[in-house]
Parts: sequence; C-alpha cells; structure tokens
Amino acid sequence: MTSSTTSSDDVERWGTAATWSAGAELTPVQTLLWRSERHPVQSSTSTVVIDLDRVPDWKRFVAATEWGTGLVRRLRQRVVDPVVPTAPPTWADDPTFDLGYHLRRERVASRDEMLAAAAQVALRPFDRSRPLWEGVLFEVGDSGAGYVLKIHHALADPLGTVQLLSMLQSGRRAHTARKPLGEDAAAPASVDPVELAVAGLRTDAATLASSAVGTARSLLATRPSTVVASGLRYGASLRRLLTQVAPPSPELSPRTGKQWTFLTLDAPLDQLRTVARQGGGTLDDAAVALVLGGLRRYHRRRDSAVAEVPVGVRVSLDRADDLGNRFTGATISGPLTIEDPVDRVAAVRGEVLSLHTERALEVLDATAPVVNRLPAFVGASVLRAAVAPDAFVTTLPGPPRRRFMAGAAVQGMYVLGPLPGAALTVCLVTCADTACIGVNVDASAIADVAGLRECLAEEVAAFDG
Amino acid sequence: MSGLFAAAQEAIGAIEAGPQGPGVGAFFDLDGTLVAGYTAATFYGDRLKGREVSPAEFLRTVVTAVDGELGGDPTRIAHVAFSALRGESEEAFADLGERLFRSKIAGTIRRESRALVAAHQRAGHTVAVASAATSYQVAPVARDLGVEHLVCTRLVVEDGQFTGETDGPMLWGRHKASGVRAFAKEHGIELADSYAYGNGYEDVAFLSSVGHPTALNPHRDLRAAAARLGWPVLDLSDPVGGSLVAAGRTVAALASMNAGVTAGVAYGLARGNRREGRNLAVKLATALPMAVAGVSMDVLHQERLWTHRPAIFVANHQSSLDIPVLGRLLERDFTIVAKKEARWDPRAVVGSVVIDPAWIDRSDSASARETLDGVVERIRAGTSLMIFPEGTRSPTPVLGPFRKGAFHLAAQAGVPVVPVVLRNTGELMGRSSLVLNPGVVDVCVLEPETDWSTDDMSERIAALRAKFEETLARWPA
Repeated sequence: MTSSTTSSDDVERWGTAATWSAGAELTPVQTLLWRSERHPVQSSTSTVVIDLDRVPDWKRFVAATEWGTGLVRRLRQRVVDPVVPTAPPTWADDPTFDLGYHLRRERVASRDEMLAAAAQVALRPFDRSRPLWEGVLFEVGDSGAGYVLKIHHALADPLGTVQLLSMLQSGRRAHTARKPLGEDAAAPASVDPVELAVAGLRTDAATLASSAVGTARSLLATRPSTVVASGLRYGASLRRLLTQVAPPSPELSPRTGKQWTFLTLDAPLDQLRTVARQGGGTLDDAAVALVLGGLRRYHRRRDSAVAEVPVGVRVSLDRADDLGNRFTGATISGPLTIEDPVDRVAAVRGEVLSLHTERALEVLDATAPVVNRLPAFVGASVLRAAVAPDAFVTTLPGPPRRRFMAGAAVQGMYVLGPLPGAALTVCLVTCADTACIGVNVDASAIADVAGLRECLAEEVAAFDG
Repeated sequence: MSGLFAAAQEAIGAIEAGPQGPGVGAFFDLDGTLVAGYTAATFYGDRLKGREVSPAEFLRTVVTAVDGELGGDPTRIAHVAFSALRGESEEAFADLGERLFRSKIAGTIRRESRALVAAHQRAGHTVAVASAATSYQVAPVARDLGVEHLVCTRLVVEDGQFTGETDGPMLWGRHKASGVRAFAKEHGIELADSYAYGNGYEDVAFLSSVGHPTALNPHRDLRAAAARLGWPVLDLSDPVGGSLVAAGRTVAALASMNAGVTAGVAYGLARGNRREGRNLAVKLATALPMAVAGVSMDVLHQERLWTHRPAIFVANHQSSLDIPVLGRLLERDFTIVAKKEARWDPRAVVGSVVIDPAWIDRSDSASARETLDGVVERIRAGTSLMIFPEGTRSPTPVLGPFRKGAFHLAAQAGVPVVPVVLRNTGELMGRSSLVLNPGVVDVCVLEPETDWSTDDMSERIAALRAKFEETLARWPA
C-alpha cells in the first residue's frame, strides 16, 4: 500500500466525519437518556482507552484535536434543554468553546495506573452546559502512552464513538498537510430554552389533535376483540421480556454503581470467529459466550452453583444478523452450566434469536417519545422498571487496519461502558486482527476483581483452543 | 389434492439434492408439526371424560394455562399435569398412549410431514422426534413414522409408578435446543448440515441449532421471527377433520348406497338376470354414495384392472372407504373374502347381500379351508376376488405385514395378482370414523403378477410389499 492511496482513504473518511451526526435535535432515546441521567449510577458516559506505541508530540496532538473538533461540529456544541420538556433538547454551538478545558495531559507510572486514572476521569460528572467530551493524554512510564477519551451518550453511543475515532485517526504515521475542514457553523449560535419550549408546545398542539383523530379512526375500524387480543399479546410479550429471565446472581451483588474499575483483555479475533462459526453464531454471540465462560469460572471458583445469569445484549430490530441502524437492548438468561465454548455460543444464539418472537421488543423505542414528555424523574423510573442484568455485553466494529494518532500507532482500543445497574459492562472492539475487550466492573459488587480478571483471561485462552 | 403441494415437493427436492447419510440429522417437533393440534390436549380430554380430574385440578389447569398464554411461565401447565400423574401406573399410561394414538392421534399426522420424514429416511439421515411432550405421547407417532430416536421429556418412574417429577428439565424452549445439541454430539451429527422443523414460538432456539431450520405451519410469533431471521416457512395442509356438512353428506351417502343396491337388485329381478342385477347394484351402490359425499378418484394405470381377469386384487387398507372405492374400481364380477364377524356389521350388511362374499370363520381352520376351496371354484368360474392382505385396517398409511392367504389362492386357482395401491382414503375417512370427507382418492394399479407358486411365495410377497411401500413413498407422476 503506498502512502498516497492511504492518504486518499483518509481524506474520504474525514469527509464522512464532517457530516457525522448532523441532526439538530436529540433522538427520543438520546433524550430519554439525557433527561434520566444520574451520574454515575445511571450514567450515559462511555470511556475509550487507546494504547499508543510512543508518546505523540503534544503540539501536534493538540493541533490534530483542534482540527478534529473543527471537522466534527458536534464536538464544539452543547445541549440546550427547553425550560419545560415540551420539545426535545437541541444541539447548539458553544460560544465559549475552549479546547484547553476538554484536552489535557498527565504522567503515570504504569498502564494499570492509567486505567485507574481513566476510571476516575469517567466517574467525574460532565459540565452539562459545555460540549460533552473530555480527553487526557497519558505518558506511561518511560516511553509508552495512552489516550483516554470520555464521551457522553447524547454525543455518541459507544458504537458512534468508535466510528468517530476510527474516522478521525490517520492511516499513516506522517503528518497529512492539507486536511479537509468542516463547514462553518450551521446550527444557530444561541438557542433560547424558553423559545424552544414554546415552539415545542406549538407543534404538540398541532400534531396531537390530528394524531388523536387518527387513533380514534383506526380503533373504530378494527373490531374491539382484535384490539383486545393484540393488546393482550403485546402485554404477554412485555411480561416475558421483563420477568422471564434469570434472577441476579448473589456473587455479583450488591451493586452501588459508584466503584468503577477498568479491566482490558486481548483475544485473537480469528479464533473467536471460528468458535462463533462452529456454534452457528455471530461474533456478538461469541462475545456473550466468552463473558459467560469467565463468569462461570468465577462462580465455580467461589463455590457458587448459580446456573444462569441475566445478560443484557443488543438485538437488531431489522434482520437478525444485521446490526444496522435499529437495535435495542434486551435481557437473556445466560447459562453458566455449559463448559464447551462452542455449545455455549449455540445456547446464546438460541436465546438471542428467541427474542425475535417478542412483539414487545421495540418497547423502549416505541415508548421513548411519550415518556420524554414527562418530567425527568418519571422517565428515569421507566428505565429502572426493566430489571438490570448482571452484565451488559456489546460488540463494536473498530478500524480494520492499523491507525495512527499524531504519529503514534494505535495498539489497542478499548471501550469502557457505563454501569447502569449491572455488575459489569463488557465491550468488545474489533481492532485489525485483535478483539480488544474492555470491562467496567462495579467493585462493590464483585468481591475478587483480580480473580474475575484471571477467570476472563482463562476463558480467552479456552477460546484459543 | 392428488400429490403433494409444490412447497413440500420443493423441500423434498432440496433434501434429495443435499448431503446424504447418518451424519445429517433431521429433527421434527411433534405437536403442531408432525401432527396437527396438541397431543397433550387429547390426553387431557381423555382424563376429563374419565372424570379423573377434580374440579380443583381442572380450575388450576385452566388458570395456569391462561397465565402461560399471558406471558407467565408456559411450562408450568405441563408440570401441573405431570404432578397430577403421581402414583399412576406407567404401564397403564403407556397403554392409554397407544389407545389414544390409534383412536385419535394417528389421524392427525400430516401427510406432507410424513413425506418429509420419509424423504429424510431415504437420504439416510438420522431422524429424531424432538419434543417437550412425554415419550408416551411421542413414541407411538415415532414408531408409526419409522423414527427410531426420541429427544423428549422423560418422567421419573419408581416401582412402576410416576413420581410426578421429570427426569431432567422439560425439553421446552432452550432445553429442547440443548437436548438436540447433546443428541447430535452423541451420534456424530454435523448440525450445520442438519434440518429442524418446528411450529411454536418457543422453537426458535431449537431451530437455530441447525443449518437448515424450517418454520412449519408456524405460530404467529414464530412466523414473524422467521421473516426477520430469513428462515423458510412451510405451510402444510392439515388432515381433513369431520365437519357437520361432511357428516350430513355421509348420511346421504349411506342412504344412496342402499337406494343403489335396491335399484340394482330390482333391475336384476325384473330382467331375470341376477348376475347383471348384482353388477348394476355394485355400480350404483358405490358410484352414488361417492358422488354424494364428494369423493372422486384419480386412477393411474386403470387399464390394468381389466387386462388380467379373473384375478385376485390385493390392496392396502386404512379406511372403511376402501371397500366402496375398490367396488367402484372393479365394477363387476368380483367378490370379497370377509371375516365371519363382519357379517352383521350394519355398514357391510347391504353390500354383502349383493356381492355374496365368502365368509371365513377364523376360529375354525377346517371350515375356513372348505370356504376357500369353494372360493377357488368361483374364481375359476370367472369371479375375481378382492383381498386386503394386511388383514385389518391400519391406523395410518404405514403398511402392515402381508398375510399369505391371497397369494395361496392365486397359486391354487392359477390366476394373477393385481396390486392396487390406495393413498389417502384414511385421510378422507379415518380408521374408526363414521364421517366421510370430500376429496380425491389417489389410486395406482401396479403391474399384475402371474404364475404364483408356493416355492418362492414368501420372497415374492416381500417384494410386492416393498413395491407398495415405494409407491406410497414416491407417488408416480
């Protein structure tokens, strides 16, 4: 590969980054998360830890970040909430944007120290009146480095964060001179919270009447028995989704959600994919099976006979194997009784696919627009109504090739998600030929965090044959 | 109606084109997949009829069932049923399973499901029934389909009595899936090449265990999931159940049969020719009721019915409908051999007046031989004979063993044997049913076979039976 083609790849990717996340309003789900946030217990913050092969030049690093925030406008914008929740919050340029507030550097003795510092960065709440990100460049020991980026869910979900970073990184070590620049401020510089509320109320009044007429019409057109039957089926499905999973494991309790501990692991991606294929599943299924295998070892080590634990997974709302644009979270019962990784993948596959028979799967998506009109605390309790699983597991596609940040090569990219009621949140990012596994552990729930780390590492080895 | 639906035919074609041999598994769900409806409901209905259910148990069952429908634990209803069996004899329950199979469940096996099972068997696949039902429900169906393996819920038995517990989990949902995976491991089956057929929303995990899942007559929620997952959906026809209309038609058919007989006999008397009168009576007595009941025939190789007379016609037997169908086919100059007990069967009495059967007394072999000597004389004189070599009606289209009597008669009388294969009479009129449903009967007349002798009779009978089986499995186009 010549450097010129890499460079044109980069330019094309950067062009895409410039158009990234262009909508002015928050989506219903983003709004729900924004309004219900109670950091850190009900947090929407994700943290990315990037291992670099050398310490990048600080000036070049600042300049690159400055350029990035110019390219991706949202990094210089803040969320403006209407005074009363009649309209969704809106993105608006922050006139007081100062890169120095968002980006700094620190020195630590070891990578473990960096991970501990990263957890502390993540636990600090955002200033909600500023752009919702924060980056720290760590100089680790004598020559290593790491970049920690903390980002709010309203700005980007973990998937979007990885996409964004993959887009902004460079395909080569050398500096690219004429990089594309973003267009000048499209969003209005200032949005008034009162104006926003009034405008929202006006649209509501207009649309509410017509939608009420529409609902009444469709109700009259269908037979009452049909409506009742379909309502009962929907309710039954919802009840199954909310109640028919395993109870939380006592080994993963009690959770306070306030003692975040970051762990990272690497697994060869090829081997994970092979096990996934043998079990008839996807990489997502294999990631869930891997975490279950680690939890199985941890429970055995602590002489616990728990047979299954609730695990939060991501399910596509379109076709099963296409994690396209529409997906939702759901909880499955993850078996701790299966020793063979292949068989465990098949079991996870069966659980996940079974969710597709549930008509209420889309419930979070469907209710979000309604719930958002209620005061924040009501919305928050709706989110809590769904029992939190013991673990969340997500898979995210990262850069397919080696990438660079201001001259330093990216050696690993780990996403540490929030802990909304769970004992651990696991994100697997595919990074070239490696699966970078980031685990956020609630140390108040897990008595032996080091033991859990060993169990997960043993399971990675078991997947490796 | 004749032949299978195109979709089933296509699925069978894909099975034939795919990998063959025992390393490929084919797993069939029972309730709603192999059979239409729920076998457990049949069992429960029987308990209700026998007043073995207390009002409290009945109420508990209904509440649990409704709760299961409304998103509660759907397996709890089964556990209520299992615990109600505590203290009952396993042997008696197994007998009940056999009885209910013959009287009720056999008739609910889908014809096209049977064809799918047979296609997998021809491909040498390892076929298993995978069901949350107990072995007492599954085993008779599996045996009838020639399926050796059961992956199903087992009940704990101590000293010949049920304890009310299950041995391991009930194989529902995820447990059925893991049961199938364990079975595959044990039998060296490659799941990626294997097939599974299921209909319930709980079957997703089971279906996703194999490389070739099919949602067969799926439940509403499975149909939605199959669309999302890109799984093929196969909608098969259900066995025809008796409706009120059909029952009315049956009464009319019986009446027209009697009218036909009377008219024919009267004609014969008037013309002074009893033989002609008898032939006309047969024609009217079979053609009229079938027309009234809406039954018609689709006959392959009809000419073979006439080229070798007098002959011994042998046919497979699964329905009371077989007799009028064969009467209609043979039309004239034939009689039957019937067991003496059937002489006073109200359904046979009218016909017996007309075709003058040879009654044999099975309990008295000397008199039986005498009767048969008389029959040989009648055959030589030009009257063909119709015999069901299986002896009795079989509850399903599966062939029973052939008795030798018909073939001995052919050897003695020196006449050929004309084999007649009837496909779906059992579907139009079940084994013990009195109701005749409208439809088309598929008939195939095989090559007549001549020169019967006692020397190689057993081999030739076995070969002929194999031809029947082959014809039933792959109906000639």
